[in-house]
Amino acid sequence: MTRLALTFLLASSVAVSPLAAATANNADSQTIEYRKQWHSDVLTGYQNLATQGQALSSQAASYCQAPSPEGLEQTKQAWLEAFLAWQQVRFVDFGPVEQGNRAWQFQFWPDPKNLVARKASYLLKDEAPITPEKVSESGVAVQGFPMAEYLLYDQAFANGEEALPAGRSCKLLLAVTRHIADNGQSLANDWQGFQSNYLGSDQYTDTTIRSAMAGLEILEERRLATPMGLRGNGKRSVYSADAWRSEASLAAMGASVQGLKQSFLPAFSKLLTDRKQPDLAEQIAQQFDEVLANFPELDRPMAPLLADDNGYKLLQSLYIDITQLTSLVNDRAAVELGVVRGFNSSDGD
Amino acid sequence: MKTLFRPATLALAVAATTGAGCANTTSPEAADSQPATKMSVVEHYADVAHAGYEDALITAKALNKATDRLISDPTEANMKAAKEAWLAARVPYQQTEVFRFGNAIVDDWEGQLNAWPLDEGLIDYVQADDYQYELGNAGATANIIGSKSINVGGETLDVTNLTPELLANLNEIGGSEANVATGYHAIEFLLWGQDLHGFDPGSGERPVTDYAAGADCTNGNCDRRGEYLDAVTDLLVSDLEWMVAQWAPGASDNYRSQLMAADADEGVQKMLFGMGSLSLGELAGERMKVALEANSYEDEHDCFSDNTHNSHYYNGQGIQNVYTGNYRRVDGSLVSGPSLSDLVAQTNPDLDARLNAQLEASMSALGMMKAKAESSQNPMPFDMMIAPGNAEGASIVNGAIMALVEQTGSIEQAARQLGLEALSPDDAGHSF
Repeated sequence: MTRLALTFLLASSVAVSPLAAATANNADSQTIEYRKQWHSDVLTGYQNLATQGQALSSQAASYCQAPSPEGLEQTKQAWLEAFLAWQQVRFVDFGPVEQGNRAWQFQFWPDPKNLVARKASYLLKDEAPITPEKVSESGVAVQGFPMAEYLLYDQAFANGEEALPAGRSCKLLLAVTRHIADNGQSLANDWQGFQSNYLGSDQYTDTTIRSAMAGLEILEERRLATPMGLRGNGKRSVYSADAWRSEASLAAMGASVQGLKQSFLPAFSKLLTDRKQPDLAEQIAQQFDEVLANFPELDRPMAPLLADDNGYKLLQSLYIDITQLTSLVNDRAAVELGVVRGFNSSDGD
Repeated sequence: MKTLFRPATLALAVAATTGAGCANTTSPEAADSQPATKMSVVEHYADVAHAGYEDALITAKALNKATDRLISDPTEANMKAAKEAWLAARVPYQQTEVFRFGNAIVDDWEGQLNAWPLDEGLIDYVQADDYQYELGNAGATANIIGSKSINVGGETLDVTNLTPELLANLNEIGGSEANVATGYHAIEFLLWGQDLHGFDPGSGERPVTDYAAGADCTNGNCDRRGEYLDAVTDLLVSDLEWMVAQWAPGASDNYRSQLMAADADEGVQKMLFGMGSLSLGELAGERMKVALEANSYEDEHDCFSDNTHNSHYYNGQGIQNVYTGNYRRVDGSLVSGPSLSDLVAQTNPDLDARLNAQLEASMSALGMMKAKAESSQNPMPFDMMIAPGNAEGASIVNGAIMALVEQTGSIEQAARQLGLEALSPDDAGHSF
């Protein structure tokens, strides 16, 4: 069990990399153009996350002020949109998102011991008022999308006494969605502030490519192969996927691929083409579309597909498409560009 | 060139060198012979692994004896002795974890010995309202000790005879990794019991009468609990015997012979991959960062005994052992020989000095964690360090995490220095 959302800034990410070395030889001005584009494309994604986070927070506030079944549905929808906005930029594992474990604050995952439920129960039973400060000091399992998802979607919770719109549960929902909104806004602001660092350092070209590589690896291995029972003990289990409570595991994968296509691929294609690999760039672009062609058909709950062999075939074809994409980017392109995979947080068991 | 010292040869070697301390460092012939080569470094790595597993076996046998005594004569003194034997057995074993990553044969085997976290309700009684188990685990409350037949996910199993084979087969029953029926943590649970103190001081408080005969028996099924403890400690010993044999020199059909027959680059890569993976992803990440950032004592490694600080400390020691080629055995003797450090120093003494200093810094940060946890005044074990709002504890844990992260960067550089570009786990697992 390893929590892949965690990334450490390794000393090696500031070591001399092949791409950096190559540009050092023929003046500095080469890779900065790619980073300009990446910076702008990621900023668009972060701003979308900030906007959707705000919308979620406002929607939760109006729901808790005047609760109704429709309001609950609207709040779930707002949660989903904000969560998918996060999925689009989830691959970025360096820069401001590393500060204060923001990535974990947005999404603590995997959570095999159901820490989210345990923390919710603890906070709701406690006498102390639920405030933004309380949420800030309660650890990452409390602070992000999975906690809001638990309050909005968990079936056992929804049938219990503390189900929304109960007072303390609403207070927790408000505080958590506020925390998400604030984090989204600060992340977008800090990314803007990070611009000169990012553009000024050639190593970030490598770092950005490695973040996409890691994002694809996590997608293929942890988010898809593991719940499909293709790894580890061979057991199919939706609980190994993220967002199983909202049944959005697959939609979230689609969003992550879409996000890579929007925020990573444009500059990456240009880089490959400039390095005399236009065919490979074209193949990768096509493979992104192959993966995305599985959607929106696969914007549906994962559990029934795991339980049924015909449904499972849909997962298999998605898996094959993603494997091919990962192989093109992580093996072929990375080798062409001399980008070496270093240790990351997924090493371990 | 073989410099693994058994106590018998040690006396001679000590006489021939400085005589400082109780152990020797290098054998006279090795000290001034040819510079280290990748081949000699890999061979010595196998020596260190062999010595480590031998020590794990020696201490596991002592644990087995101590638990046998506890089962036949359940007194407070025998319970205390069994717990002390368990704690002693962890010291060498945790130093061998660095061999897991990169050596598939170890990784495939170790689940039966050291899997965690475990849903202890599979094994014995638990307090229901303070027991959070793995999502979807059908075996989480099976209670093998409490019944002669258990049902996991619709499958009924006869568990009347608690033999080592039966327990081994029950591992990961129902497909859940949290169903850990065997190994150190199962034994830990059988000795300490559930830690119900959360972030507060105190570890598990299993009464020794859980093993008492007749009317004195507490919590029921004391005879079956004793049988379980007997079988699970026997299994630990036989599992370790198997692994010792895999690393033993002079055999033509064990893992060591495969390792030595393969390209030396592969062996060196396994060494560095094991160091980096344990350092970053596993120890700094999974075992410390997750527990700290989520304030989750469920993610604590040795949660029943509150021995987590030692698990971490000796994991770190194992990483340093692989780099320096030095391993301090449980009898106090030192295994020493050609090392990665020697290899790196041949072409980049600065990097070697930096990495050695970083390994020292990690050990000092982990040492601070250990000292704080074992302090005679206001001890702060790991589960208290990670409590919400404990700034002092968080800073101790963070210090250790940062030190491990830093050394991992240099481990990557060492790999490049030695001409090993890809440390990808995919390459590491496939060769054997």
